[in-house]
Amino acid sequence: MSLKIIKKGMADTIQDKGRTGFQHLGIQANGFMDYLSAQLANALVNNPIDYPIFELCFPASSFSFSSDHTICITGANFSPVINEKSIELNKPIDVSKNDVLQFLKPIEGSFAYLAIQGKINAPDWLASQSFNATTLQQDNVFEILPILESDIYTHTIPFNLIKAIQNNIFAPAPIRFIPGPAWNDLTEESLSQLLTQAFHTTLQTNRMGYLLKGPLLGLTRPNQYLSAAVTRGTLQLLPNGSLMVLMADHQTIGGYANLGQIILVDLPRIAQLKNGSSLHFSLTNVNNAHQLYQQIQKGFIH
Amino acid sequence: MHSNSNFQDLPLQFNYLGDHAIVISINTPISSESIQMVKKVVTLCTSIQKTHQWIKEIIPAYQTITLVYNIHSFYQLEQTDPLLFLKNSFQSMMKENFLTMKAAENEIIKIPVCYDETFGIDLASMATLKNITKEEIIESHTHEIYNVFCLGFMPGFAYMGTVNEKIQVARHLAPRPKVFAGSVGIAGVQTGIYPTNSPGGWQIIGRTPIKIFDPHPEKLALFKAGDQVQFYSINRGVYDQMLAS
Repeated sequence: MSLKIIKKGMADTIQDKGRTGFQHLGIQANGFMDYLSAQLANALVNNPIDYPIFELCFPASSFSFSSDHTICITGANFSPVINEKSIELNKPIDVSKNDVLQFLKPIEGSFAYLAIQGKINAPDWLASQSFNATTLQQDNVFEILPILESDIYTHTIPFNLIKAIQNNIFAPAPIRFIPGPAWNDLTEESLSQLLTQAFHTTLQTNRMGYLLKGPLLGLTRPNQYLSAAVTRGTLQLLPNGSLMVLMADHQTIGGYANLGQIILVDLPRIAQLKNGSSLHFSLTNVNNAHQLYQQIQKGFIH
Repeated sequence: MHSNSNFQDLPLQFNYLGDHAIVISINTPISSESIQMVKKVVTLCTSIQKTHQWIKEIIPAYQTITLVYNIHSFYQLEQTDPLLFLKNSFQSMMKENFLTMKAAENEIIKIPVCYDETFGIDLASMATLKNITKEEIIESHTHEIYNVFCLGFMPGFAYMGTVNEKIQVARHLAPRPKVFAGSVGIAGVQTGIYPTNSPGGWQIIGRTPIKIFDPHPEKLALFKAGDQVQFYSINRGVYDQMLAS
């Protein structure tokens, strides 16, 4: 059982839930950009939800299959076709030997996920197959290994979970965050701009971070802080007044003003924004963030 | 919200950093005392982590220790909230008296550096800028015992300090596109070694033949936060020999 990249995409990678326990050595976590779509795709093909998966950007790779497989595509809609026939997202699909999977046109979102029943046989480092900067290449062949019976994910995904995830990812809802250590250093005007005005994603968006365009924000003190750990979702204020949102491949520590952290349930939504999309921010608190996260994760785990 | 919650009489503050991390801040200026404090907090967190595996990362920096945790695994086991849980754990472990507890002593790690000008490409301009000789720069850099405050920027990169005032220089305004692995640099009060070839803006004064980062899972980073480091000068011949061996 294997699949082959017959045409190289722009920046496709293999990702899993990322690397844990090494950030104190400066080693980045990496991992899914939109963990909800990735978990959903895995669950729909009965894989453990945090299994390695193909993360695709547009223009995406084209794949051919060496034998029968069950696959599922979630996240961004890049108009997937098998042998030139449209297939549905968020649904397990059976493919046969020599079938060709292609992605024709970006309709919605930035990251699509392709799960294949089984385990992708790819190198790992420190217990994760996520690497920053290793992209899928033309003619790469990935063997798909069977998974242990005890690992098979057997829970049926309810339709309303699929719907909730879709809503969460693509609804034009504000991006919620919790104020961080430098929040009180914002000028009053900047604080109100951050909470009321629109920001836009720019061409400088990648797996490390999303640079936003919007009102330039200012501090009541110099933008130089003692370096401290930053997390995925950190809202950094750059010296020129722009906002940068740290994403999956972020550095482990940072010395710019840390204005706040986007909550975990809203990270997939910001990850899926296309270049030039607008977004608004709103405040929330830890309790609320924990409840929302638990609610959606409980849909997967019993 | 980012709340200021003092912890007993200790100069420690516990705050949420977003929804999946907690930052413990040390309220003393950077000093040998604060360095000891960071080490002690890391020791306590590590022992809590042994029985509470929802703690995923313990990341020390200059005056902070950040814990990253898994929300779902926390609530599967605990009734309270993570911040309260951590404070309570600290409180009960504090019976052993945190203030008098001694942080683990580390040996000083000695690092050979070849300050030859083919490696120390910024030595000459630094000497001019600071109005001292190259020998004085090397003397100062090898004299000081540096503390490793944290790792970051790239795997294995250790931020060390404090560099003596007479050799402090700001980083280059525009980073060089390529700095070679092993390059030893200065940026203000900090000194550090590039573990791999990378773009970089630090003032480069020499190069070490020692491997600072090895991706082998049992090796990884040569330094960890809390280590003490002293540099010593080697000539080009010794450098080449050490590199070859």
